[in-house]
Amino acid sequence: MHGVHGRYLHIDLDTGSVAEHPIPEEVSIRVIGGVGLASLLLYRWAPPGVDPLAPENPLIFATSPFIGTGITTASKVAVVTKSPQTGMIGDSLSSSYLAIALKRTGFDALVITGTATEWSLLVVDDGRVEVRPATDLLGRTPEETADAVRAALGTGFRVAAIGEAGENGVRYAAISNDGRLAGRTGGGAVMGSKRLKAIAVHGSGLPTVADPAGLARAARDLAARSLGPGTAKYRELGTAANLAFFNRIGVLPTRNFQQGEFAGAEAISGETLFLEHRTDKHACAACTIGCEHHYRTRDGGSERTVRLEYESLFALGSLCGVDDPNAVLRAAALCDDLGMDAITTGATVAWAMECAERGVDLGYPVDEIPRFGDADSLLRTIEAIGRRQGIGDLLAEGSRRAAECTGQGSEAWAMHVKGLEMPGYDPRKLPTLALGLAVATRGACHNRSSAYEIDFSDRLDPDAEALARAEAAAAAEDQAAVLDSLTICKFLRHCFDDLYAEAAELYTMVTGVPTTGDDLRVAGERINNLKKLFNIREGWTRADDRLPDRVLTGEAGLTHERLTHLIDAYYRVRGWDADGRIPEEHLTRLGLTDLL
Amino acid sequence: MHQAATTVHVELFGVPRLLAGSKAIAVAGETLGALSRALLDACPALAERVIDPRTGWLTEGYMFVVNDRFSRDPTFPVAPGSSVLLVSSVAGG
Repeated sequence: MHGVHGRYLHIDLDTGSVAEHPIPEEVSIRVIGGVGLASLLLYRWAPPGVDPLAPENPLIFATSPFIGTGITTASKVAVVTKSPQTGMIGDSLSSSYLAIALKRTGFDALVITGTATEWSLLVVDDGRVEVRPATDLLGRTPEETADAVRAALGTGFRVAAIGEAGENGVRYAAISNDGRLAGRTGGGAVMGSKRLKAIAVHGSGLPTVADPAGLARAARDLAARSLGPGTAKYRELGTAANLAFFNRIGVLPTRNFQQGEFAGAEAISGETLFLEHRTDKHACAACTIGCEHHYRTRDGGSERTVRLEYESLFALGSLCGVDDPNAVLRAAALCDDLGMDAITTGATVAWAMECAERGVDLGYPVDEIPRFGDADSLLRTIEAIGRRQGIGDLLAEGSRRAAECTGQGSEAWAMHVKGLEMPGYDPRKLPTLALGLAVATRGACHNRSSAYEIDFSDRLDPDAEALARAEAAAAAEDQAAVLDSLTICKFLRHCFDDLYAEAAELYTMVTGVPTTGDDLRVAGERINNLKKLFNIREGWTRADDRLPDRVLTGEAGLTHERLTHLIDAYYRVRGWDADGRIPEEHLTRLGLTDLL
Repeated sequence: MHQAATTVHVELFGVPRLLAGSKAIAVAGETLGALSRALLDACPALAERVIDPRTGWLTEGYMFVVNDRFSRDPTFPVAPGSSVLLVSSVAGG
């Protein structure tokens, strides 16, 4: 089989041992790579019931057959572990050069277990593995860490690093590389628990592809299409363009989801940021789209340029009631520097702000408590979280645990699903998205299903029945699983006429394994069932597929009863039983039974 | 007697707003197709990137939202008093 190395590396930081393991061709085909491959390795390597911050919890980095082939946007690495936020599967993706360098090492994945005896740098150079002391890197930002490591090892190395948040065990710490982040579900906290400050990879061996000439033609064609209308929004304004529109239709989460419209939206809109703050835009490695827009602070203080996406913008802006664009940019920069997921950071601060608004005693001095609309308190609190200082120690646990610790009814406004804070789409008016958020395996996530696309389109009648929405949500999840496993950027999804068929042609040209669009669709279903199976093993029950009560008040028709109806329909579409469990024959049909 | 088409304030978001230099444009039309052609007449800066001047209809990357209904149907009727938004057809991110 071309396109893959057919092996992965296990590194045990407890003993310093390193072992190669084969990945049989049949396994590669069934789980593709990326998130699919890493999910399988997680299932195999994580002891059932393991504490996410225990040495035994594996931290897995996985590549895909498409990485390094010239297929546009396909330079992403999947990071999978048992999440310290949710206690379930935590999967995240990060783009750019790290993915190519990792694949060049000669392995399709790294599985890291154990805990180093001191803060360490893990170096993988082709097949050679070394664990070096890294105490001197503590306290540095991920970017500073990468610069220092590359200065020491050579610029041929690419580096994944954690910031202070990961060092301090902030449960939503991220792993950063090349200015990008594997942001959600707390992989940085797991990396920190292993006393790994950074991982540096370098190599020289990409696998062959089966049909180089055909692939080159197809990749050129796809690259040309990537510059068409399907990506115009991302190229021209970036995802920040969502904010003003979402505000206008009342789905912009505001003041901890208390409202769907924000009076200060215009000041922090993508259009305003473009005109008054934007500096330039960047592209990840091997990407022709170039969606990464950078913005500069203009408040008279020390100038700071920062990458900003809609999710960071809403979470650190409207969700916290902050309408100062300079403050939002500085907050996003702080999250990057400390190495934290901006969505969970903003959402957890917003939870504390609502506590303050409601007079809940958080047990910390008044001047430490953040307030809605108070930009200074937002910035101060983010720093405190990253360093676990004062109230930051409580908020570093995320909104679910902070609310459980605080009590006083504050669980009611901890806006999470399965422990993962909600993204920037108010589900009250978006019923298909609501279903997607409730059932997503990694918790409240817009990125593992993109079910919102159904609601933001004329593809379904507003009065569509539960079954139609369930089918749409499941189909969106399966498509996302395929993209995350081929490690193609989701921003490319509108550039295909028939995504599955065209992706299968590419897969065949890369691997030499004849593959149909239907094969890939089934692989997507298989991978979603695999992720669900892991969650079931770790204690998932139907009660975990939920949304916060706040959004089930009946506005736009979304109630407990309707959500239950949608979830029932979703389980039927999935072939699961009424409790959301997977029948044995279903696992067999999907070819999962003998994989586990 | 034929009545003049209703004037609608089409609210612009994203690239259309930047190209037009305005948050809204008042145009007359009883269908989305008519509104699209009227928008092109009122704001030639929208040509090519947002509205195809050959057809007078939206390019692939854009759609209308009429009273919370998303549509790329040029025959979609626009009643007096409707809320009409012109937005990117690529959702989310």
